[in-house]
Amino acid sequence: MQALAHGYEWNRAALAAGLPAKAGRLHERSRQTEAAKSPAELARLIEAVAARQDRDAFVALFDHFAPRIKAFLMRTNLPAAGAEELAQEALLIVWRKAAQFDRARAGASSWIFTIARNLRIDNARRDMRGKVLDREANEDAEQPTPPEAELLAAEREQRVRAALKNLSDEQLRVVRLSFFEGKAHGDIAAELDLPLGTVKSRIRLAMNRLRDLLGDLT
Amino acid sequence: MRHHPKNETLAEFAAGTLDEGRSLVVATHLSLCAECRGAVAAFEAVGGEMLNSIEPVAMSDGARDRALALLDREPSPVAPAKPAPRPVWQADQETLLGYDLGPWRWVSPGLHYRAVKTPEAGSTRVFMLKAVPGLKIPEHSHTGTELTCVLKGAFIHDGGRYAAGDCDDADQDDAHNPMIDEVEVCICLVAMQGNIELTGFFGRMIQPFIRI
Repeated sequence: MQALAHGYEWNRAALAAGLPAKAGRLHERSRQTEAAKSPAELARLIEAVAARQDRDAFVALFDHFAPRIKAFLMRTNLPAAGAEELAQEALLIVWRKAAQFDRARAGASSWIFTIARNLRIDNARRDMRGKVLDREANEDAEQPTPPEAELLAAEREQRVRAALKNLSDEQLRVVRLSFFEGKAHGDIAAELDLPLGTVKSRIRLAMNRLRDLLGDLT
Repeated sequence: MRHHPKNETLAEFAAGTLDEGRSLVVATHLSLCAECRGAVAAFEAVGGEMLNSIEPVAMSDGARDRALALLDREPSPVAPAKPAPRPVWQADQETLLGYDLGPWRWVSPGLHYRAVKTPEAGSTRVFMLKAVPGLKIPEHSHTGTELTCVLKGAFIHDGGRYAAGDCDDADQDDAHNPMIDEVEVCICLVAMQGNIELTGFFGRMIQPFIRI
């Protein structure tokens, strides 16, 4: 199940074109533990899963993202066992929906973040839902990845990193707590020993700043 | 499109922390606003970067092998048949895709509402309002926040003119005295936290009906 309102995905997904097979290299890479992976590499791994159900690529994605999704969900106050279960589920969804990934539209990390986010919403609401809908509103047209997409994806992630560095430490802290970890403003105020109004205005300024810096990202 | 949700609201939507009712209003706006779709994508990219740079927590032994074993039971990830895009708001039938709607009910002369049943019961109530051209909505303020997306027609208040697709992301401090545009019937989708406080004689009279 996916979050209802978030399921209306305004044509986000288009088919990613498969890139030439590099199975040997992928296999080798998957053996390495925690080697830093570039956005382009991560995107290629998803595309390899889409193009030919490449299990080595899946293993590499699992090793990179599952422990991060688990960590993310634990930050949102899920117990470790539940976070691990959802991280597993998230990677299975990556396998299932790899063909919908389109690096021209979103980076690998953003795409997988939205999968983890939807799982988190569903987990919170699981028993409250009356019905299941097919909420994949996707384009039927197959669009090849434009040649400049790889460059754009790399540049985009670079810009996101730069934008986050552009925030003050105080702003970054409230963004992390509020936006990423989903903490209530009141809880953040208590944790940081700040007035509620300060927390709210800090979040507002930080989000406006990010929007200014990244508004033309896509 | 001239009026958009606040950046905090879009960010909460991107993070998945906005409640279902407000998410529905935002999703309705997004289906009509490319600019805000871009903003949500940017905030999702921020989420992706935070996910990527988080300190990982090791999965338990055998987790990866269990996932691989599960893949055998998965159907081949061939490109799924993709349905045509569907906007949330179905203008011809005046329905919201995927949500049950209550019947239109009379509130006051020229004003009707219908409840939108969201799966998550919470402090946010979601409903549609339909008002005849030229109607003055009684002056009101809120004890909580109110997020509105115009589905059809237009209304005007201190903040300007709000036409189809426009979003009014109001705080509790904002007092409202909207008037419906003269041209056509106006339908709005509203997610409201807290209670609406109607002021004036007329407002107090219809107050019981507004508590949906």
